[in-house]
Amino acid sequence: MLVAPEVLPTYLVNTLIRAFLYAAVAITVDILWGFTGILTFGQSAFFGFGAYAAALVFTHAGFGPGLALIAFGVAIVGAMLLALLVGWFAFHPGASPLYGSVITLVLPIVVSQLLYSGGSFTGSSSGLSGFESFDLSLEAWFRIAGVFLIATTAGVWLFLRSDGGRILEAIRDNEQRCEYLGIDVSRVKILLMMACGAIASCAGFLFACVQMVVAPEYAGFAFGTELLMWVALGGRGTLIGPLIGTLLLDTSTSYLSGSLPFLWKLLSGLAFVVVIVALPQGLLPALASAIRRAWRRGAPASVAPTAEVELHSADPQPLAGLASAGRLALSVKDVHKRFGSLQVLRGIGFAVRPNELLSLIGPNGAGKTTLMRCIADGAERSSGTVRLNDHDIRHSSPAACVALGAGRKFQNANVFDSLTVAQSMRVARTRLKRPSLWRRERALALPTAALEVMRATGLDRQLHVASRDLSHGMKQALELAMVLALEPSVLLLDEPTAGLTKAERTLIGRILLDLTQSHTLCVLLVEHDLDFVHEISTRIIVLHQGQIVLDGSVEEVVNSDLVREIYAGAATPGAHG
Amino acid sequence: MTLVLDMLTTAAILYGVAAGLLIVFGVMKIINFAHGAFLTVGGYAALLVTHLGWNPWWSLPVAFAVGGACGAIVERLVMKPLYKRPLDAILATWGLAIVIGQCITLVFDRGVQFVQSPLTGAIDFLGISYSSYRLFVIPLSLAVVGLLGWMMNGSRLGLVTRAVIMNEDLARALGINTGMVRLATFSLGAGLAGLAGALITPLSSVDPNMGVPWLVNAFMIVMVSGVSLVSLGVACLVLGSAQVLVSTWANPILGGLTIVVLAAVILRVRPEGFARA
Amino acid sequence: MRTSNRLFATMLAVLAAPLGTQSAAAQDKAPVVIGTAVGLSGANSVVAPSVVQATQLAIDEINAAGGILGRKVVLEVADDGSGAAGAQKAYDSLLFQKKVDAVISMETSAARNAALPIVTRARKPFIYTSFYEGRSCNRNMFINAWVPEQQVASVVDYFSSKLNTKSYFLVGSDYAFGRGMLEFTRKYILAKGQKVVGEEYLPMDGSDWTAIVSKLKASGADALISSTAGGAPNVTLTKQLRAAGVTVPFGNLAVDEGTAKSMGSDGKDVYTAGSYYTSIDTPRNKEFLAAMGKRFGAEMKTPNDLSVPQYEAVWAYKLAVDKAGSLDTDKVLKALGEVSFNGPRGAIKMDKQHHAALNMYLGQVQADGSVKILETFQGVDPGAQCPNLK
Repeated sequence: MLVAPEVLPTYLVNTLIRAFLYAAVAITVDILWGFTGILTFGQSAFFGFGAYAAALVFTHAGFGPGLALIAFGVAIVGAMLLALLVGWFAFHPGASPLYGSVITLVLPIVVSQLLYSGGSFTGSSSGLSGFESFDLSLEAWFRIAGVFLIATTAGVWLFLRSDGGRILEAIRDNEQRCEYLGIDVSRVKILLMMACGAIASCAGFLFACVQMVVAPEYAGFAFGTELLMWVALGGRGTLIGPLIGTLLLDTSTSYLSGSLPFLWKLLSGLAFVVVIVALPQGLLPALASAIRRAWRRGAPASVAPTAEVELHSADPQPLAGLASAGRLALSVKDVHKRFGSLQVLRGIGFAVRPNELLSLIGPNGAGKTTLMRCIADGAERSSGTVRLNDHDIRHSSPAACVALGAGRKFQNANVFDSLTVAQSMRVARTRLKRPSLWRRERALALPTAALEVMRATGLDRQLHVASRDLSHGMKQALELAMVLALEPSVLLLDEPTAGLTKAERTLIGRILLDLTQSHTLCVLLVEHDLDFVHEISTRIIVLHQGQIVLDGSVEEVVNSDLVREIYAGAATPGAHG
Repeated sequence: MTLVLDMLTTAAILYGVAAGLLIVFGVMKIINFAHGAFLTVGGYAALLVTHLGWNPWWSLPVAFAVGGACGAIVERLVMKPLYKRPLDAILATWGLAIVIGQCITLVFDRGVQFVQSPLTGAIDFLGISYSSYRLFVIPLSLAVVGLLGWMMNGSRLGLVTRAVIMNEDLARALGINTGMVRLATFSLGAGLAGLAGALITPLSSVDPNMGVPWLVNAFMIVMVSGVSLVSLGVACLVLGSAQVLVSTWANPILGGLTIVVLAAVILRVRPEGFARA
Repeated sequence: MRTSNRLFATMLAVLAAPLGTQSAAAQDKAPVVIGTAVGLSGANSVVAPSVVQATQLAIDEINAAGGILGRKVVLEVADDGSGAAGAQKAYDSLLFQKKVDAVISMETSAARNAALPIVTRARKPFIYTSFYEGRSCNRNMFINAWVPEQQVASVVDYFSSKLNTKSYFLVGSDYAFGRGMLEFTRKYILAKGQKVVGEEYLPMDGSDWTAIVSKLKASGADALISSTAGGAPNVTLTKQLRAAGVTVPFGNLAVDEGTAKSMGSDGKDVYTAGSYYTSIDTPRNKEFLAAMGKRFGAEMKTPNDLSVPQYEAVWAYKLAVDKAGSLDTDKVLKALGEVSFNGPRGAIKMDKQHHAALNMYLGQVQADGSVKILETFQGVDPGAQCPNLK
């Protein structure tokens, strides 16, 4: 770094300065795409924004230390505001990933077209050039760009390996689970976009200062997709891959595009297609694993050992300002749910007190899971009121409902495949304890309920196993533990025993009973296993064709003729007395 | 009056360009970013017709055939693994677009070239004179899309395709060769793109990158219009007219942005767009 | 056809590449490398082949006469994509990778503006051979092509006196050239007491003039004056105008003969003004055309106002280096303002603040794409372009 610029030819130094800055932008693309799963075409727009901020200020207002500072401020703050706007569009609750990518595609087009329409203010097609900039030698710029790249990489690496970085992976793996753990995914994505936008804008600012020419192409769609190409070829989700990939590819392009313009572009295009279709992890990682395999002759790549984790018991955090024992944990009044002309739920109403274990039964298609959804997500129901701890959920998002006390466990084991048990639990605890953005903590404090589940099922001895490698039963247990880490007051369980062995089922049953008796929560359980229901419930509600047909104690329901007929398929609600 | 004709002809051109993309999206649920490249292929097919000295009207069927052939090759070689991965499909087809563009450049050189227009001059009607070629685009687009619609609703292939759109697994279980349906659909989409390319070049020029601006606009229109050809027509009319109005009253560059920005806003407010409008 | 030209340029680039990187020890026998950046892709690609041909002819003639300072002259061609971003890459490559001794280029103003900082940093002479909007000043740059002060008046004067037009509609490409030319044109028209009823721009690569054509028709203007980027935009605009039935007098400030040919029958009757047309009736021009025909045969592209200045600039560089006695940049720069070369456009000396006085012609495009000269103006002065440069 210190010696290189003196020794290398000028052309290479110039090319590398550019490549360093591009690599920093490529890293932001990798954070968004490789680590968080947001396919973005738009980082070029932020790069161009920073470049033009510098160029516009220096061209129209002149150059000086104060003005340079102002230009830099505009570049960073402006980029963050732009990212906020983009994020608000792209990541609004309910937006599909495709829509998000569409917005990131629209962004560079809009920015570059606005630059084209700016007449002589932005220089339009000519761009801006000839403005004064810092009077530094090429060698000095090489060092500045190099240091910028190293600093960015180091900072990003620190963040990604910290506990906070796990949240990105959680979002990439299973966004829905994050929402239902109380993590405001939209907000995380927007903040991430703002940070990445600021970094890219900074790179653009430096670019304008050293090159002293800016053109609308630098903010455009073609450059945005080129960044994606470099990241894909270098290896998405690896950080080092995109860095090396960008440096190698951009430098090679500078040298080869003069002599073999078409062939080189053709080859890179082909490589890109091949990588996306057949080698999604990227060329460099594929090469690396091939080499590793040849070296060690088949020894599996070891999972990097994660930091030691110690489990502690956390101080209980009662829902601040919300209900405590004695009042209604859950109250449902006159809830309807329609899909077009199809009525799925009709006039559902019931109330649950803390320490109740309420089972919801009924044949398939009765609307049980739909009802669960209506309780945990304020936007689901078509009409009616749902109150959690005496707070009307109105149209709250799932994350907001978690804040009101809901904790939902899904039917299939809904976990984070690439995170370990310990990492998953820490992510689950995010709402109550913010994870560090640069450290990996040893201590992991969990509420006793979660700890009990983990100890009873043996999860506490498998803290460093990746979730995808757990058995089905263990995954179910993990998800239960994650939901308990939220300290919910209303635990919504959708078929918790599905796919479990008899022994596992008994264990879960005991745990649930224990939870309702010794902790202040109520459990709402959807189940098909009537024996299981019989053993543990304090109360049963029977749902049939979207209506409650029976709501009573275990004895009443189990001995009811109506229920027998419903399950045998002969009865319709209201036909019998 | 000129303004109205501008709006109608712009909508018609957009319709022709977007129809192919819609078919592919509707049947295969993936977005084909190589659509712009197929458009370019069609443009160069028209150029070839000009170079060979044939009657310029031949450029339309030739472009359709060449586009369709390219589409068939691409589908067989590349598309299969991507059907379950829509976001990756966007990237891979973009890479393909680069490859196709470079192949075109290797054969035809990278310069800008021009094609002979089948219809020259303007015709006078309703008190103004208007480019006859532009006017001709309206009935041609309608004819092409009409044919498409008839095929979808009136032919066996169309019926089978609609079955695949609605429920592919069931269709396959019933013995429908979904692989063949995909091949036919993708080739048709590419052929339509080629045809559209030949359609637009007499109005401007031919160069290896001509497809890109059309791709983005067509893509946004398809996003907004759901899956039916009728809602596509509505979307083209609304967005195309907006583009012309902004170009005329503000400036043409902002006009170029209109479709893209409007579509993004519409989708934010009403995610189904114009579907079931 | 195009294919051989491209092969031709690539071959040159490949052949010249190893030559450009030789060390200082072999200086005496090392060839003199002239770099040229042209728009092999993008708006200017229509004109590029003719520019490369003219440059090559000059170099061949110089080599046949013994080269520069007894050394062979070699050409390096780079693609600037007709725009700013491409020019950066092209100039970086020419000046720092291929290490050319001088750059002699015809480019869009966008590309030129992007290139100047790089030329300044590299401290090499740069001869700019394209007509442009004027007032671009750089110690290292000399210009042998015309500026608005030398061209616009002839068109507007002809329109107003011979064709009786009173209101004008202006259309241009949105960059330094388009805006600069039309700004000058507007001032000139208003100074004559006439009207400008519209002024519209599209980005350099834009090809959809529909809205602008409609506005033109709605404005009721007597005449249209355009100043778009070199090749493609000229053709698309003209085609779309004719397709829409526009027949008012059309003065195109930025079209060369080669591009006019590409317009086919649509180009007929377009008025234009410039410093070179193949129909210029002088012995020197005839000699030049014959030499081009002999060198390139059936492949010859019509020499035009963008390619002939390139030919003359290469010769002017040779004369300047001969006068300076070395390739030293400062000496060559001094000599460039002092030598005069007698080429197809007449005797040209770049002594007016790095610009040159030129013979100008007003012409009208014919059905076969050639330009019939209507009026001739001798030795038109460029005015005060760069008062700060000597």
